[in-house]
Amino acid sequence: MFDFLEPLFFAIFSVGIIGAGVCVVILRRITAQALFMALTFASMAGMFLLLGAETIALFQVLIYVGAITILILFGVMFTKQDDRGYGLFFQEQTPWAAAFTLVIAVPVVFLAFSFKDPITPSAKGGDLIPLAASLFTDYAFPFEIASVLLLAALVGAIVLVKRDEQ
Amino acid sequence: MPIGPFGIDPVIWAVLRLVIAAGLAVFLVLNGALAQIFLERKIQAVMQDRVGPYHTGPFGLLQTFADAIKLLGKEDIRAKLTDAPFFLAAPAIVFSPMLASFVVLPFGPDFVGANLNVGLLYLTTLGSMTVLGIVIAGWASNNKYSLMGGLRSAGQLISYEVPQILGLVTVVLYVGSLSMVDITNAQPGPLVNFLILPMAFVTYLIAALAETNRNPFDLPEAESELVAGFLTEYSGMRWGIFFLAEYGEVTVVSAIMATLWFGGWHGPGVDALPILGVLWFTLKTYMFVLLFIWIRATLPRLRIDQLMGFCWKVLIPLALVNIMATAVLILAFADPRLPLAIVNWILVAALVFGLPFTQRRRLLRFRARTKERVAMRNVRLAP
Repeated sequence: MFDFLEPLFFAIFSVGIIGAGVCVVILRRITAQALFMALTFASMAGMFLLLGAETIALFQVLIYVGAITILILFGVMFTKQDDRGYGLFFQEQTPWAAAFTLVIAVPVVFLAFSFKDPITPSAKGGDLIPLAASLFTDYAFPFEIASVLLLAALVGAIVLVKRDEQ
Repeated sequence: MPIGPFGIDPVIWAVLRLVIAAGLAVFLVLNGALAQIFLERKIQAVMQDRVGPYHTGPFGLLQTFADAIKLLGKEDIRAKLTDAPFFLAAPAIVFSPMLASFVVLPFGPDFVGANLNVGLLYLTTLGSMTVLGIVIAGWASNNKYSLMGGLRSAGQLISYEVPQILGLVTVVLYVGSLSMVDITNAQPGPLVNFLILPMAFVTYLIAALAETNRNPFDLPEAESELVAGFLTEYSGMRWGIFFLAEYGEVTVVSAIMATLWFGGWHGPGVDALPILGVLWFTLKTYMFVLLFIWIRATLPRLRIDQLMGFCWKVLIPLALVNIMATAVLILAFADPRLPLAIVNWILVAALVFGLPFTQRRRLLRFRARTKERVAMRNVRLAP
């Protein structure tokens, strides 16, 4: 009955990811870029929803839209704002950039078109329990490594900004 | 031809259901806000020995309606140097996540928009999206007070999200589900989660006050310091939408507390008459709305360093200890209710009695330092 909805949403999210991603790169105003980045993250969460991974989708929004974008805006607001020359980092680097992009893009396109049998999403119960189980068994060690890394970053940040208490 | 509910074609019903649900949510938000504003003004008036609104309608009941119509009729003013697209988008970014939260609230048995199995995570996620709108509003207004409000909001909301989620995790550990319906069903009797997990409740209540910008934590819109914070440049219905969103957030947060710790729709007579569940749920939710109003009328505003210090040095460590204890006790005992309750109440007692003690020590140290400084200055100034 509503079979057309899934391709429709896929199209909307695709346009959201690619269009907003392009906007992040080419726009000048940094707040607009941050907002478009939030839109990219939200569209990616939509893709996860279409794949039946609602927990990952919600964490995507919670962490990337709700925290990381805010932190970037937070940083932007504390820095002095003036008009930057367009493409400060990409002057005279077009051939290198094109070559580098091709090296990554070609395998990705081949991979994308070589998928014959996409995995069908699990029907009932969602991805919450599989996700939790794999996080605490198979991937427990990488998970712990990531948390130790984040803790080190946190402590480092505190040490950097700590004033001498005299 | 297949016949859906009420003899309506299922295709039409699917669309119709969406429209009805969205309309109902908007209706609830608008009327809830009107009711809450009236309650807030009236109750604060009683607490401050005033009369409150009483000219329009019986007991001033129509005053908030009149105010709403006044807001709608106001001229649409936008300062010239505001960042137009973001300035216009910010109220919508704040309002829509709040509206979407109503999908998973369990109003009564079989009276839920969608029984998501990650309902609680969904609510937390939407709650965290509000910050984006407030920060954008502060930035786009091109006004230093607005910017300060936006910055304060970003710092405050990101910090208090941590204890908020930690408080929820404790309940999820105990119940074993993220679904709002399952959590309600897990506490049918008088032994509600509040009696077993009060520490998680206290953590969440404090974090929720901060998350909704309510009084002891209303730094982003502190009238006496920042004009009106991120709301300074807004007027008319755009300003009204920010307030609708704030009152909607209060409702959602109260509904979460009613569901997680006070049994949601459960109450006397629900088994016989399921629609009574909606009444119980509403009563429990408004109990917390009233608590918020009471807190607003009672407590003074915190300073920003006190706010951050309290979150990172008191609330988060206590919440982490609570999670650790809860996880261990659930694994250790077959029926963990009694040990959980004992540990939790001890933690609450530690917070309630420990806080004044440490504050007093800090105050004494501060006074000693000030006295020392004054003495040194006097020595220097002496001939």
